[in-house]
Amino acid sequence: MTNRDPAFLATALARAGNGPRPGELDSLVRQGWAGWVEEQLAPTDADPALAPRLSSLLLRIRHGGGDGWEPVDEMRPLAFLDRPIDTLWPLAAGKQKMDGAERRRPRDEVLAATLLRAVHSRWQLREVMAGFWHDHFNVDFMSSDTLAATLPAYDRDVIRAHALGNFRQFLEAVATSTAMLIYLSNRSSRAGAANENFARELFELHTLGRDAYLNDRYDRWRDVPGALAGQPQGYIDQDVYEAARALTGWTIEDGGGIDGKRHLSESGRFAYVESWHDGYQKRVLATEFQPFAAAMADGRQVLDLVAAHPATARHLTGKLCQRLVGSRSPQLVAAAAAEWTRSAAAPDQIARVVRLILLSPDFAASRGAKLRRPLAVAAGFARGAGIDLLPTEGLINAISGAGQRLFGWPTPTGLPDDDAQFLGAQALRQRWALVMGLAENWWGCGTPSIPSAATLGQAAYAWQDALVGGPDPLAAAAILAGQGWSPDQPLGKPDAPDTAKKTARLAALVAMAPAFHMV
Amino acid sequence: MLKRRDLFRLSAAGLAYSGLSNLAFADGGSPGLLILLHLRGGCDGLNLISPGDDSDFIAARASELRVVGDGPDAGFPLGRGFLLHPAAPGLAELYKQGHLACIHAAGLADGTRSHFVAIDMIDRGIADNAALARTPTGWLARAGRGPAISAAATPGGELIGAASALALPSLAGGVVPAGGPPVQAALDRLYANAPGPFGAAVRESLSALAAIDHRLPRDPTGKVTLETKPAYAAAGELAGPLQTLAQLVKMEIGLASATLDLGGWDTHENQTGRFRGQVAKLSAGLAALWEDLSPWHDRMVVVAWSEFGRRLRSNKSGGTDHGRGGVAMVLGGKVAGGRIAGAWPTLAADRLDEGVDLAVANDIRAILAEALAAVDGRPPAPDVFPGFNAGPLLGLFRRS
Repeated sequence: MTNRDPAFLATALARAGNGPRPGELDSLVRQGWAGWVEEQLAPTDADPALAPRLSSLLLRIRHGGGDGWEPVDEMRPLAFLDRPIDTLWPLAAGKQKMDGAERRRPRDEVLAATLLRAVHSRWQLREVMAGFWHDHFNVDFMSSDTLAATLPAYDRDVIRAHALGNFRQFLEAVATSTAMLIYLSNRSSRAGAANENFARELFELHTLGRDAYLNDRYDRWRDVPGALAGQPQGYIDQDVYEAARALTGWTIEDGGGIDGKRHLSESGRFAYVESWHDGYQKRVLATEFQPFAAAMADGRQVLDLVAAHPATARHLTGKLCQRLVGSRSPQLVAAAAAEWTRSAAAPDQIARVVRLILLSPDFAASRGAKLRRPLAVAAGFARGAGIDLLPTEGLINAISGAGQRLFGWPTPTGLPDDDAQFLGAQALRQRWALVMGLAENWWGCGTPSIPSAATLGQAAYAWQDALVGGPDPLAAAAILAGQGWSPDQPLGKPDAPDTAKKTARLAALVAMAPAFHMV
Repeated sequence: MLKRRDLFRLSAAGLAYSGLSNLAFADGGSPGLLILLHLRGGCDGLNLISPGDDSDFIAARASELRVVGDGPDAGFPLGRGFLLHPAAPGLAELYKQGHLACIHAAGLADGTRSHFVAIDMIDRGIADNAALARTPTGWLARAGRGPAISAAATPGGELIGAASALALPSLAGGVVPAGGPPVQAALDRLYANAPGPFGAAVRESLSALAAIDHRLPRDPTGKVTLETKPAYAAAGELAGPLQTLAQLVKMEIGLASATLDLGGWDTHENQTGRFRGQVAKLSAGLAALWEDLSPWHDRMVVVAWSEFGRRLRSNKSGGTDHGRGGVAMVLGGKVAGGRIAGAWPTLAADRLDEGVDLAVANDIRAILAEALAAVDGRPPAPDVFPGFNAGPLLGLFRRS
């Protein structure tokens, strides 16, 4: 009866969301796990706890001034989250005189909004999935001011719009996005010597996956098993070269010259430039492309082929299992891949696969199998401890130090979904600092609500209820002994400064225990 | 209340991290320090060290992606017709002094053009995709070269499976958990029996961090005092990790291996300026480290390499796509330097890999094996590079 077991539900919420808020477990016990999943898979626009916080948030901006602009140090509301790409583009293009901090402001607003959503959004599963897809379709928005300015459009129109939707549509949104066209340099790819950067990662990272890269075994496309029947088991370098040709001419309106006389406009939007496209015949995944196809037809056919390939179903569902379950049992991946393929045309293809995984016996049996990532540590602590979180630069730096540089992973792989990623000595030290800093409000993010408790021992138990799903006497004893505190020691009046200090320290120590991290 | 010293003893006792807490850094006769610098992203070896007067090369490449022999931007001549990139005066000087040797057409014997597959194979000391699944550990871990430090957020892939590998990108502010001895004591208790890799990592880290923290230089008020040398500044993002490494070496904590990264080499687009910037950082960083660690020269070997080189012909984005043969370098007091070592397959059309790339003529494992032998004083055990037969030595090190 895991569906209503509070211990199961506590970790389930920490895996498919960022953990329970005070009182949330009780309502979840009444609703049942399946009911929660169903509700979360169909998010609506209503997000009553989040909306007022987004609209009233003031985020600091600070820079030293320069040639033609004044120094700034002020608190400003968010202004860029809803902006379309053509109004973000002037910041990306950087032709106006302004400080880099102004150009990067759209990215910093998305960062702040991401923290607010992680803590306050009612649609917790959507937040987890948005994080998953930002990793999967990684763009390093820290690498340049140009990319930084494009993040609101990528986050909103590409990642969040498709996070529970249809993968083929998602793929085209990525391939035509301003951010990806810049990041993997397809925007400058031209007939004659195509730029292979995007095409290679499209196969290896976005779709079929490296297990389907058979270059070490086959030199010719026709030798790949299944190729002569039109169903090659995997891909080789020749497929990458040909797909790169198919995607030539997919670019952005960045004002560049098309030929001697014509120029692209400067909107930052996607554009297809016929004269840059390599129109001759091609062969990708054993499928022949006719010469001189219609505009964008070659590239779209590549996206059709890679989206529908069985290796893509295995690769993507394997990654989803890894993220949500913490492992990839062959049975679960096979079932999820079958659902993926069956739902290939469905507008909610990804939601169906996520449902199957979250309601699987593997998920129910996987308590304690996954290390929380740093953003989830921070958000989970803020939710459990009742902090009305205000996102600040100090908190973002602390999450980064613990191993998760949000929107700033340097390689196209995205942050690997592997616990080992966060087990470096310094990363662990910063993990402890993350909960202690939030508990003691080092970064101005807000303070925990003080639990009602008469003694230190009761306070420790109250925090364990809130943060790790129930009392753990051994851990409580270890924590109190480490501080030299007796469990019977009276806590003092709730408004006494010493009470706040001691309960904050106890909250941090409770959240340093293994049970808070392995969920 | 616990004193700092008691705490240190508590956390070090009975834990696996004897290496860092007990060993003094090797003196003359003991094993040396192996420093591995991964140039992540596929460094264009042909742009770092160009075969300057090779007519096939000149015909294939625009001059912006070649090192030229004369004019204001002329490269440094290395002999055999090779020219080093002009943004690398530090490397040129080390080469001239005989401490640095370069190996061209170096790389993985397997023909992969995937960053991530290539890196995984090199990390595991293999050159065969099928062997990846049965080779879960890194070559440096199998070589038993602990204690090891990664001056990065996570240990290098060579160290996967190593018993004592610590990822420590920075020492600023001390290294023990915030909150002082009471928090450390609580953590020690909470994790004493915590299961799995997470529990083990926490125990090892707490113990090793306490050992390192114990030796950090401090002023009378207890504040950590790390020296910052201006020479590192030009090394960009490599400066912090290199200084962390140098500090740990000077602290004599028994370090045997270290791994670092310098990314930014995946130059599919607008290569010329970006490449110049990364070359300048690499050159300045290695020169600063060499200067900083002068008492350790004879006991240290630095190997710098990349997962592959890049395409001979550029694409229309002013960049180069993934290729095969690249450049590796070894730096150390015992290096037989000042020369380009190894075979050179040429860029003649019929010698190119798949007709498009500089072929790999010098196996990366041969280079790593010679470096390992130089610091260990004996050849690597057979399981370090399984199934690999190096053949004749490249002769990267002087016989002493």
